[in-house]
Amino acid sequence: MRNIKRIVAATAAVATLVGLAACGSSSNDSSANKGDADKAELVFWGWDSGNSMKQIIANFEKANPGITVKFNNTGTAEKTSTALSNAIAAGNGAPDVVMLEDPTVTQFAVTDGLVDLSEFGADKLADDFAAGPWNKLQYNNKPYALPIDSGPEMFFYNKAVFDKAGVDGESIKTWDDYYEAAKKIRATGSYITNLAGTSGDYQPFTAQIWQAGAQPWKVDGEKITINMTKDAGMQRYIKFVQKLIDEDLVDTKTPNWSDDWNRELNDGTIASLTIGAWMPINLMTGAPDQAGNWRVAQLPQWEEGQQVSAEDGGSALAVVKLSKNQAAAYKFVEYMTHGDGAQEMADTGTFPSLKKILQSDSFTDPTTEGNKKTNDYFGGQNVNEVLAEAAQRPTEKFQYLPYNPYAQSTYGDEVSKAYTKEITLEQALTNYGKKLAEQGEQQGYTVTVK
Amino acid sequence: MSASSATTAGVTGPDVRHSATARVNKHKADWRGWKFMWPFALVFIFVFIIPICYAIYISFFKKQMIGGTKFVGFENYARLLGDTQFWSSVGRVALFTCVQVPIMLFLAAMMALALDSMKLHGTKFFRISTFLPYAVPAVVSTLIWGFVYGAKYGLVGSLNDVLGTNLDLFAPNILLASIGNIVTWEFTGYNMLIFYSSLSTIPHSLYEAASIDGASEWQIVKSIKLPELKGSLAITVIFSIIGSFQLFNEPSILQNMVPGNAITTYYTPNMYAYNLSFSGNQSNYAAALAITMAVITMAIAYAVQLNSMKEQMK
Repeated sequence: MRNIKRIVAATAAVATLVGLAACGSSSNDSSANKGDADKAELVFWGWDSGNSMKQIIANFEKANPGITVKFNNTGTAEKTSTALSNAIAAGNGAPDVVMLEDPTVTQFAVTDGLVDLSEFGADKLADDFAAGPWNKLQYNNKPYALPIDSGPEMFFYNKAVFDKAGVDGESIKTWDDYYEAAKKIRATGSYITNLAGTSGDYQPFTAQIWQAGAQPWKVDGEKITINMTKDAGMQRYIKFVQKLIDEDLVDTKTPNWSDDWNRELNDGTIASLTIGAWMPINLMTGAPDQAGNWRVAQLPQWEEGQQVSAEDGGSALAVVKLSKNQAAAYKFVEYMTHGDGAQEMADTGTFPSLKKILQSDSFTDPTTEGNKKTNDYFGGQNVNEVLAEAAQRPTEKFQYLPYNPYAQSTYGDEVSKAYTKEITLEQALTNYGKKLAEQGEQQGYTVTVK
Repeated sequence: MSASSATTAGVTGPDVRHSATARVNKHKADWRGWKFMWPFALVFIFVFIIPICYAIYISFFKKQMIGGTKFVGFENYARLLGDTQFWSSVGRVALFTCVQVPIMLFLAAMMALALDSMKLHGTKFFRISTFLPYAVPAVVSTLIWGFVYGAKYGLVGSLNDVLGTNLDLFAPNILLASIGNIVTWEFTGYNMLIFYSSLSTIPHSLYEAASIDGASEWQIVKSIKLPELKGSLAITVIFSIIGSFQLFNEPSILQNMVPGNAITTYYTPNMYAYNLSFSGNQSNYAAALAITMAVITMAIAYAVQLNSMKEQMK
């Protein structure tokens, strides 16, 4: 009797599961979910770093009376992409519009989670955006998201420490100059920068190899080529960083975004950073004691006279394929990234990717309240002018892996060994490449390792 | 009204028949028990049985970015057998368990005995304050300890400055011990309380009899108190083994505080499963890992229990 009951219960449980699984595998094959462009209730997932989303959405709703937008603050980029992949796997509960970090866009585009925005004519907007963020959001030469911000890699330095070492930050034009400066700064007890090879250093790493012209990952449909060490750009990056590690010119013990990191930025132990243009606000809060000392300059170049930039971070808005209101959703995306919303975002602290805003007078106007505060921290320098110049510099094409979150989280596992001097950087990157290849094969790609 | 009368009828019904046939009543009693069970059973099935069945179910599939989801049978389990990262993480928590659990339980037993000796002043204060760390969320206590351990700006750093030493508790080769210290701090009080409560069930007449027989304090501990602790020892050992095999909070919080990357994404089995499913897009493989870990943990807990039952039979 009791056994029978058990069997009944187990069967019921299995039946429920099969039901769940059936939901899970139901694929969405309709591409005609455009819906009414003027009338819809949209769900929007994203984070709100400028604390201004509510106001911007209200303005959008005023301009488009038929559309309402429900904003769900999903907290961080990582949580958002996790929630989105769960919702897509479940086949329901997905938002209409989603905010994603640029490198994760490809992952969702490959797995058919996002709408190709050229259906709505987004491909024609290419020239309106800075090249760096725009290039990152293309898959098969089609835009799958529009950038809301950008993060050109910049060179931030602490002038007080540089002065003490007798180095002029403005005169650092190439990475060779940087190396010479590193030696002088090390002699004063500080480090020119920190490099620890943890997952927090992954983004600056990709930005730096990008600028070096490296192409470590090439994705062509279902084929991936991984070339972490033999590529010419990777070679010059490896040689350069290995030299910094060997000669104890960089702080290899302090990972980015750690508590120690903020403290060392604040007490001058770390004298400079190469990081995205969104850094000023973080410096102002993380290193308040150094107010007036930090400066920003263009990224050092690999060859003299070049003006090559690279991107570090940045986020974008995409339309989810499961949405039944794709046309209205695109309207919202367009408003936020290309329309009036973009200006409002820029006004509340987002570093813009729209050329129109980057080139506008108000963006570099030193008398606005926001600009004045930042410029004061940077010793009176017109910060946005320098940043805007970097944003409009040309960038090479660069491809992330379609499984970028995995590449980021496991970067530290392998590469940090080079910074603790267990193995060489070349060896560490070879191991890392192997691990990435394994993941690619697990995901069904045909991977070639060079 | 009708409902209540129906209930009454339901309850009295079997009672009436009770005198007639005892065998029928036995079955009826079974069903009656289920009526009380259902609120629990419902929750239990939904939050425990179904998720586990679901995890087992998805562990037989493989979801790929290219190719979608397909049935692969035991492939995930086979892959797990040869996964060196997985076994290194299992080895790490096994080592952790072998060292940390005995130390923690020894300390807990000592504290319980000390509290129970009635010779301490401020017993209540002592009892509460040793238990307090258990009430602090693991995330908070790990952060606190992380700041203490910091070799540059933490308490350890300040000590190094004063004493001129070069101690680094975050060094990769002693990091596991540092985590062990945090866990010991968190859970000693909890285990102490289990020991203490089992000690307090000993009737005082036993102590009186012992002292009339001229037993010393040490003999009382050895012959009365320690045997009493054996039963609760089995429970605490099982809890602690399960707890340390599931180690997750402490290492993942410390990950960003430790210089370099001494805490990898596969530092413990749970961290590995987390990383595989949330950044590696391999939730099926992670499910297989979770099931395997559950089986390993259950096997160990079962072995401990069998062993302790044998001990008690003696």
